[in-house]
Amino acid sequence: MLRTILTAGLCLSACVFLAAAMIADDISASAKKLHFSAIVVDTHDDTTQRFLDGKFDIAVRNSTGGIDIPRMREGGLGALFFSIWIPSKITGTDAVNRALTQINAVREQVHTHPKDLVLATTADEVRAARKRGKIAALIGVEGGHMINSDLGVLRNFASLDARYMTLTHSGNCEWADASTDKPVHNGLTDFGKEVVREMNRLGMMVDISHVSDKTFYDVLEVSKAPLIASHSSCRALCNTPRNMTDRMMKALAAKGGVIQINYHVGFLSQEFRNAEKAHPEWEKAIAVEVQKTCGENEACQLLEGDRITRQYVAEGKLPRVGWTAIIDHIDHAVKVAGIDHVGLGSDFDGANMPYGMEDASMLPKITEALLRKGYSEDDVKKILGENTLRLMANVERIGRELNSSPRK
Amino acid sequence: MTRLSRRFAVSLCFCAVLLASSRLKTTANADDIAERAKKLHFSSIVLDTHDDTTQRFFEKGGFNLADRHTDGHIDIPRMREGGMNAIFFSIWIDGKIMGPQAVEKALDQIDAVHENVKKNSKDMVFCRTAEEVREAHKQGKIAALMGVEGGHMIGNDIHVLRVFGDLGVRYMTLSHFYNTEWSDSSTDKPAHNGLTDFGKDVVREMNRQGIMVDISHVSDKTFYDALEISKAPLIASHSSCRALCNHPRDMSDDMIKALAAKGGVIQINYERSFIDQAYKDASDKLSGGVVAALEKITKECAGDETCVSQKQKELQAQMEASGALPRVSWERIIDHIDHAVKLVGADHVGLGSDFDGATMPDGMEDCSKLPKITEALMRKGYKDDDIRKILGGNLLRVMEQNEKVSRELQAQ
Repeated sequence: MLRTILTAGLCLSACVFLAAAMIADDISASAKKLHFSAIVVDTHDDTTQRFLDGKFDIAVRNSTGGIDIPRMREGGLGALFFSIWIPSKITGTDAVNRALTQINAVREQVHTHPKDLVLATTADEVRAARKRGKIAALIGVEGGHMINSDLGVLRNFASLDARYMTLTHSGNCEWADASTDKPVHNGLTDFGKEVVREMNRLGMMVDISHVSDKTFYDVLEVSKAPLIASHSSCRALCNTPRNMTDRMMKALAAKGGVIQINYHVGFLSQEFRNAEKAHPEWEKAIAVEVQKTCGENEACQLLEGDRITRQYVAEGKLPRVGWTAIIDHIDHAVKVAGIDHVGLGSDFDGANMPYGMEDASMLPKITEALLRKGYSEDDVKKILGENTLRLMANVERIGRELNSSPRK
Repeated sequence: MTRLSRRFAVSLCFCAVLLASSRLKTTANADDIAERAKKLHFSSIVLDTHDDTTQRFFEKGGFNLADRHTDGHIDIPRMREGGMNAIFFSIWIDGKIMGPQAVEKALDQIDAVHENVKKNSKDMVFCRTAEEVREAHKQGKIAALMGVEGGHMIGNDIHVLRVFGDLGVRYMTLSHFYNTEWSDSSTDKPAHNGLTDFGKDVVREMNRQGIMVDISHVSDKTFYDALEISKAPLIASHSSCRALCNHPRDMSDDMIKALAAKGGVIQINYERSFIDQAYKDASDKLSGGVVAALEKITKECAGDETCVSQKQKELQAQMEASGALPRVSWERIIDHIDHAVKLVGADHVGLGSDFDGATMPDGMEDCSKLPKITEALMRKGYKDDDIRKILGGNLLRVMEQNEKVSRELQAQ
């Protein structure tokens, strides 16, 4: 039944292609009502990098990037995970120290804006924040290299309220293979399995975005709690190792997990990816230009990369990807994994956003588009945040159960 | 029991103590005092601000706090026996290790404290505030707290200091045995003329975070600098009186007075060479001076804390075997408490044993012997209230003041 409705919806959106352009300015009253009454959760935002350069003010409306309080308010974003990220080439104790610096930067930002932001560590706290009219700020660590193979550090991250950890970033870590590196561990090492078990015990979500397919399957087998892909899209629609195959999504869903769709154009659009792959020299040129402008300033690198990429699009070198590609990925994932297993993981401030989804203020468009596709209000709410909150609550419960059993 | 009935029961007990004490005044004899002291001791919050037990969590084969040990000074059975119900676990790594490496090692120890407290949740509860310590006491649990012994562990990064605060660290000793990059130590050659500008920022940020500024181990100049900058009272978590034993780790009378004038507290250290001049002199003679001896050990161990502890123990054993070290009685602890009290009053003195990190005097072999301190002070004629302050009340007052200053600064 659901399938028929969804197929009809897909057909409808294809037929009224022009309607998509309208949606930008035309959010129906019912969509608005639904969107602003739902808890909208975004599981991946790289805004943390902007805190570090000292010039960014999250309380005012910025003309760059995707996230600040005014635009989150405007877009009805109720909860976001600030990503703790350092490049995977930085390892050892340096990585630990820099991760702490970022965790502290997030916490300080939240403390500095108590009227709008509140730190949340559980699904219940996210709901409580919502009731008080505040945006829930959560912390996710993007890359297992930041624990320096030290479970003590992992536990400290949990104490400091990190609620998920992505097992790798783009490079392999010492105990897990990444999707964008040469495999060296055949997935997860024995220590990597220990990390997953300890995360289960700590009630910390295990994030399989960025990891290799083999690592994913290893984790799925070891983890006692459902997994999250905090910011990955569908490989069936855009063939990049950072996205999940249909088989992976089904396996993730079968164990109660959730895939949070990433809005990065290179993960959404096969056409964009093909164009990029056909001209590796462009990627290099962009990197050189970014380096020239930004040096080692990572916040600057992320934003500048997006700006220059858009120049290439304007020059007609790279294809223009519209925001409705996000809806295509959501819809595909729903069809493959089920309505209970899809959510939002934008990658704002860390990726190249499609046209029409430049920042968090545009989020109501997603609700409008899903309603137009024939999704029920409850289904839309699940995608906007309820699935993620259910996953969080389950991971917390399993953590409590594991903690109450006697330690080895 | 409801809160009301608990309070009623407490006040009943209190009345009983009062009754007993008024009767004792007329018929005081040795046995009466012993009995009264016991009651007072075991009804008080007995708080020790410095214990190096954390290092034992890393021993090969593990260390179980819940078991009674024949070595070391601290475990739950002996704490129960000695009425010690609040403890600051010290986070300590060798002062020559700096930067991110120091940060991670400190994190490992912080984790070990949390994990061990959790493992013993029947007896212990982790506390972050004076109020939580009092609540733990009401519930019959041992309050576990954390102090970082050495500013080198923040890796010159103010964010890390804040993270330590978030992880439950309630004091930081500005330096350990060696200078940090921003503060001079009492046992190193001065390099910064006290606190650097960054060091002053560290003190201000500690005030903001409600992390008590600990001036044990720092040079006299660093102490005076910290005293001037800090908006909250300071603690000396484990230092004794230089007037009785001339050791740079101890505080001069002037320093103790200045500390007290700003509401701070000196927590008396039981280490033999800090409390007994004859012992210190003999020990210096044998080891060639504590500074030189420790420097040699640090070099040999190259950053391995277990090795440092082991070598220190070996050196100590060698010196003891020589027979040239005089015996030191636990009563020297009372002398130091009494000296400090005479100097600045009973509101500014407490206990910072250095258990598991120092050599204990005869009669204070471990924490089970702590009731002797209460009895000795009582015999000296100390009032019950003053004894309670020394046992823990003073430190809780300073903690509360630090919490208040932190709230005020954060509200700004």
